[in-house]
Amino acid sequence: MTSDRIFGGVGLALAAFFIWQATQIELGFSSDPLGPRSFPIIIGGVMALACIYPLVKPDPEADWPALGRLLEIALAVAVLIAYALALPVVGFVLATAVAAGILSWRLGSRPTGAALAGVGISVGIYVVFHLVLGLSLARGPWGF
Amino acid sequence: MDALASLMDGFAVALTWQNLGLALLGCFLGTIIGAMPGLGPSNGVAILIPVAFTLGLPATPAIILLTSVYYGAMYGGRISSILLNIPGDEPAMMTTLDGYPMARQGKAGEALALSGVASFVGAFFATWGLVFLAPLLVKVALLFGPAEYFALFLLAFATLGGIASRNQAKAAIAAAIGLGIAMIGVDGQTGVPRFTFDNVHLFDGIDFLVAIVGLFALSEVFIFLEHRGEGEGAGKAKTDLGRITVPLKTLKETSGTMTRGTIIGFIAGVLPGAGASLGSFVAYTLEKRFVDRKGTFGKGDPRGVAAPEAGNNAAAGGALVPMLALGVPGSGTTAVLLAMLLALNITPGPLLFQSNPDVVWGLIAALFIGNIMLLALNIPMVGVFVRVLQVPPRILMPAVAMISAVGIYGISGSSFDLLVMVGFGVLGWVLRKLDVPLVPIILGVLLGNMMEANLRRALTISNGDWSILWSSPLTIGLWFVAIVGFVLPMVAGRFFRVSRHHTAAEEGADPD
Amino acid sequence: MSLMSITRRSLAAAVLAAAVPLSAAQAFEVGNPECIAPAAPGGGWDFTCRQAGKAMYDLKLVPSPMQVTNMTGGSGGVAYANVVAKRASDKNLIVAASSSTSARLAQGAYPGMNKDQVKWLGSIGADYGIIAVAKDSPVETLPQLIEKLKADPASVAVAGGSAVGGWDHLKVLNAARKAGVENLRQIKYVPFEGGGEAITQLLGGHVQAFTGDISEAKGFVDSGDIKILAVLAPERLPGEFGKFPTAREQGIDAIGANWRGFYGPGDMPKEAYDYWVSTIDSLYKSDEWQQIMAANGLMPLDLQGDEFAAFVAEQIKDTEELSREIGLIK
Repeated sequence: MTSDRIFGGVGLALAAFFIWQATQIELGFSSDPLGPRSFPIIIGGVMALACIYPLVKPDPEADWPALGRLLEIALAVAVLIAYALALPVVGFVLATAVAAGILSWRLGSRPTGAALAGVGISVGIYVVFHLVLGLSLARGPWGF
Repeated sequence: MDALASLMDGFAVALTWQNLGLALLGCFLGTIIGAMPGLGPSNGVAILIPVAFTLGLPATPAIILLTSVYYGAMYGGRISSILLNIPGDEPAMMTTLDGYPMARQGKAGEALALSGVASFVGAFFATWGLVFLAPLLVKVALLFGPAEYFALFLLAFATLGGIASRNQAKAAIAAAIGLGIAMIGVDGQTGVPRFTFDNVHLFDGIDFLVAIVGLFALSEVFIFLEHRGEGEGAGKAKTDLGRITVPLKTLKETSGTMTRGTIIGFIAGVLPGAGASLGSFVAYTLEKRFVDRKGTFGKGDPRGVAAPEAGNNAAAGGALVPMLALGVPGSGTTAVLLAMLLALNITPGPLLFQSNPDVVWGLIAALFIGNIMLLALNIPMVGVFVRVLQVPPRILMPAVAMISAVGIYGISGSSFDLLVMVGFGVLGWVLRKLDVPLVPIILGVLLGNMMEANLRRALTISNGDWSILWSSPLTIGLWFVAIVGFVLPMVAGRFFRVSRHHTAAEEGADPD
Repeated sequence: MSLMSITRRSLAAAVLAAAVPLSAAQAFEVGNPECIAPAAPGGGWDFTCRQAGKAMYDLKLVPSPMQVTNMTGGSGGVAYANVVAKRASDKNLIVAASSSTSARLAQGAYPGMNKDQVKWLGSIGADYGIIAVAKDSPVETLPQLIEKLKADPASVAVAGGSAVGGWDHLKVLNAARKAGVENLRQIKYVPFEGGGEAITQLLGGHVQAFTGDISEAKGFVDSGDIKILAVLAPERLPGEFGKFPTAREQGIDAIGANWRGFYGPGDMPKEAYDYWVSTIDSLYKSDEWQQIMAANGLMPLDLQGDEFAAFVAEQIKDTEELSREIGLIK
């Protein structure tokens, strides 16, 4: 019950913010009758209307995981964010091996197994995507 | 029969050992690329263009290679949809709805085989459509002005209610989120930035690939993290691979579905801008609306697998009609193919069939060949594909996450996109928990800009007169179907339907 | 192949071009050449990189295959900012650019960036603008269309492949301005995703006129589905397009050249700059490239080094003036 109420509330707030932002869009040079603001405002309106429903008639409570598991997910998110930031700096192979290794570890591999999985995934992707398909992956200080 | 004679000439062009080899290579690579989350047909074709250049291929073999990749990717997208609940590319999104539940019921092999057959049917008959109906269909495409497109997209959103039979308000919220995301970026009409917060990375908007990979693939990784260790329920059922062929009975039951999916998908493909995603989407929602009497769609109904797969592969064939006959790409992939044709000194357009008959008919013949190869490749390989499920999640899921990241980063070269993808992953996880369907978000992101652009174009042309939106027979027809077919029953159904309760434990099985 | 032979090649190229001091070309060795396409694979910039890169390698102008990196975002703004901020002294890098790049710079659409932050290397051809109508339109000449615009701007919807204020829109506005149309803002411009889509709308009768580039319209002109009212080139084009009148000969002095070319990092060493300028020059003059140009409907525009930089600066100035006049920028 509560989750849906919060969801509806957040949705309403988001819709309000969206509409407010839409009214701030510069009009500038406009050659069409509708302009750049109207459609986003309509969308915000639809969103606001639809958000009233879960507020009034919420579904049964969602099944949220225990705190420990939430932290697991938070850790995974942190790893992925760090991965995105590190990729251009340290290059594809290293960043991917580390990130994949940590994820594999948290998903239940033993540390050595996780390290092997990380390296395997990283090198495998590098071979297929870069060497075979020629995709330009992040080039690190060592050229890979 | 002029077309048939030309087609025979086409086969003479296509049936060389080199071309057959390239078609086989293309089909194989395409299937793999299609199955990778984040890499779809358009990226697949784009990635292979340099390969074609490096091999120094002349026009016809090059285009045979690339269209084989295109068709292969359309086939391949369904594999990860069914096995992992992660669409390999955006047109395969609808296949998750019934394909993944089938896999959870131990019918992964059957779902893969059935979707392979449905893909074949869609692509095969669409190619015949390309042979005989191209000139006629071009005239249909010309009928679609801005007002008609707007009505068509409106119809697509009207059918959304059907996807989420439980809580339409949540489907509407999801659609609004998707449309809102589509608004981010520089406004295509006036050039003013909207919702970009002065961040140059947002000026081009958010790529739907980033959204789809985050919402579907990463959130799936998070779900696995959440349920690690308690995997008995989720993990055990999956290792049961089931049969790897389709029972004849199922084929018979789904033949009508495939036919309808093929026709709808083909028409959607012919309309420039609508494309394969709309084809598979409408094929599914119409089927669900008009055929699903017992409410089994979304719970592993084979027809829910056959409809979108026939639809998206037929749309792939249909999208070649405007590309070849008008030089107008009907989808991202055909845009890339078009650029490739131009690079090979071939100008698609009204004269292409006269000026380069060898290329056109060689291409069409290659489509037939590729299609048969794909069927021949895909059915025996079902046994190989399902083995993916035997890879333990602790290795499979990190690989999925990393492949998703590569798909995004390899194309855009942007860390920012990766961060947005992670954001979508979290959003997708939360929304799944709250039982909010994800498909409408993607539909909103895909169609939002086109919907707005066409509304504004229509009003520009009419000098602000809104009646242009329902002034042609075609627009009236589309509005009629949307309102009478979908909106009215939904409103009326409100009064009769008892709200169905469901347990949150289903969320893993509940990919919509 | 050895590096020696490369240096000799580029030396030869430099001699041919006769525009670069010999010593510069001798001293410089390019590493792994890279071309940034500031768009997704398949677009115009991507093909500039891929085609030019392939031709450069085939002609042995560069020692190894050109690596093409796609960097999307901000209509080229992300790549521009990236080159300025992170790759400023890279000697192996070139970036694909076109009139869109200069138009965006002129309108301040790359926040905080200006044209002097990069080095403009050279052009590899131009795509001239056209204004066209459907074959069954009563309008026969550009002045007739302008008359209709003057009499009742609401009666003519002009379709093009770029956003409002983008290159296709500017072309028609510029022509109208040169023809003395007073209220440019009232001209109805309907933007579509690319020229092909705009032409389809013209054929379907949903709009009345089309503004775009020759390469986009080629197929439909050949088939007779559309009628070219005017080519926006200084003089009649060579080859089959010679039969279409220019705007200038109809008394409207409007030119719209969509150039394609390259820029490089702003702090690129002098030798690297000279190397790339002469490489692009040799590429342009090669038979291979001339064939590619013909195949793609690209018309001659042979500007390298300082000449090219001056040309870009001029175009940016013009675009800025026009954009200000019509109220697109303040």
